[in-house]
Amino acid sequence: MKKIIYLLVLVLFTACSSEPQPIDYGKDNCDFCEMTIVSKAYAAQAVSEKGKQYKYDAIECMVNHQLQHNYEMPVNLVANFEQPGTMISVNEANFVINDSIKSPMGGNLAAFKKESAVVNTESKDIFNWQELKTIFLENDSLTTSY
Amino acid sequence: MKTIQAAVDMAEDGDILRIKSGTYKEHDISIIDKSLTIIGEGFPVIDAEMEGTAVSVRAENFSIEGLKIINVGRSHTNDFAGILVSNAKNFEIKNNRLDQVFFGILLERSSEGTVSGNIITSNAESQSTSGNGVHIWKSEEITVKNNEVIGLRDGIYLEFVNNSEIINNLCKDNLRYGLHFMFSDHDLYKGNIFENNGAGVAVMYSKFIDMQDNQFRKNWGSASYGLLLKEINDSELKNNIFEDNTIAISADNTNRIDYIENDFRNNGYAIRIRGAVYDNNFKRNNFLYNSFDVAYTGRLNNNKFTNNYWSGYSGYDLNRDGIGDVPFRPVTLFSYLVNKTPEAIVLLRSTFIDLLDFSEKVSPIFTPADLIDAQPQMKRIQW
Repeated sequence: MKKIIYLLVLVLFTACSSEPQPIDYGKDNCDFCEMTIVSKAYAAQAVSEKGKQYKYDAIECMVNHQLQHNYEMPVNLVANFEQPGTMISVNEANFVINDSIKSPMGGNLAAFKKESAVVNTESKDIFNWQELKTIFLENDSLTTSY
Repeated sequence: MKTIQAAVDMAEDGDILRIKSGTYKEHDISIIDKSLTIIGEGFPVIDAEMEGTAVSVRAENFSIEGLKIINVGRSHTNDFAGILVSNAKNFEIKNNRLDQVFFGILLERSSEGTVSGNIITSNAESQSTSGNGVHIWKSEEITVKNNEVIGLRDGIYLEFVNNSEIINNLCKDNLRYGLHFMFSDHDLYKGNIFENNGAGVAVMYSKFIDMQDNQFRKNWGSASYGLLLKEINDSELKNNIFEDNTIAISADNTNRIDYIENDFRNNGYAIRIRGAVYDNNFKRNNFLYNSFDVAYTGRLNNNKFTNNYWSGYSGYDLNRDGIGDVPFRPVTLFSYLVNKTPEAIVLLRSTFIDLLDFSEKVSPIFTPADLIDAQPQMKRIQW
């Protein structure tokens, strides 16, 4: 009986946590486009204030989802393209949109650490998180193209 | 000739290259602007030693046949493939075997090509290092026929591919999808078997897709589909069999789709309709022993259900015309609840739920009132 109580307490505590839970690649589905998340180089995730976990197979899915529903999330993480499998906060990332990047939803979009040499070159295809959202707002991409 | 590359360099336009059996440890063999016919005799092995692409071609009028390609390199920035075809026209890639590849056959900006009879296998357990079996990008008029694709990320993947046909392939045990359409229009897929993939087929952001005689089987898992439709319009789904899938069809933003004469057997959900789904026709389908036939969000409906056979139908046919005298309501209140609160599924077989569903059937309050099949068939439809 005691064990069950401990277990319950544990469940209660974990349920309230706003820590991002790791993505189970190949099992978890994208909360925006429903695709199975498989690529560690493009995935993204967010956690709401209440601790609800959102997982995405591409950064463009996360941005589109949040813009469409007007979500503001306290935790927004994106895959570090140079170290697939590791996540970084959107605020320590710069984003590159380039045709050579084949992200899952056609956004040609990947994230790099701000320190990375890739995003410290002169290019008009490099954006920070706020700029990225503005671009998506202006283009209103994928979702209305059909 | 010791290496294939040397032979290719020597060859002239229109030559036939016969490769004797044996192992060739080569990668990045490139064929540029030469119309060659390459024939492997007794499956010569090209071992790319995990170093990159095995063979790449940029030419018109060529064919590659009877090769065995193994150990293609892996990378998350480069799409290394067993056979890479780019900017090519009028070609044939047939009866090759590809094993332990990253991408199998990769076509880019090409047209009028056939990929047939190839067997592509890999071991896509470590997800970061898996590519697609047949990957086609920005191409037209491609036929993919009689191939077997087992154990990759997506079996067959089409992105910006128009006027193409995917026929009689077997896609099994792939990590993500058996077949995947992205931004592709006017395509046909017919006679394929999709079994035990992460999900069977995903058709996304596409239109005018013809889907016939396919089997979607055993796509089982907490969030797995036989067929995922997202932002797809003006298409037809006919004579397909959906068997043992968690969700046979999940539809989101799909308009003007005709679902005709399909069998839905033993699925968790036969059809799960999410938002913005308009003007779809469901006609002469067999819904056989699914936990839920139709799940629905919202109370508005303008999709038509006519002349289907529902194994859950308990009405009668007094005038013996083969059509049930009382309409059938495929959306149960419980499926509605489960859609909103997935955890409620634990109540599936309880008497309370039966009661709930019965009272909803008598006087619908929550489920769309006009979502009915007014002419349910008494007998299973033969098609």
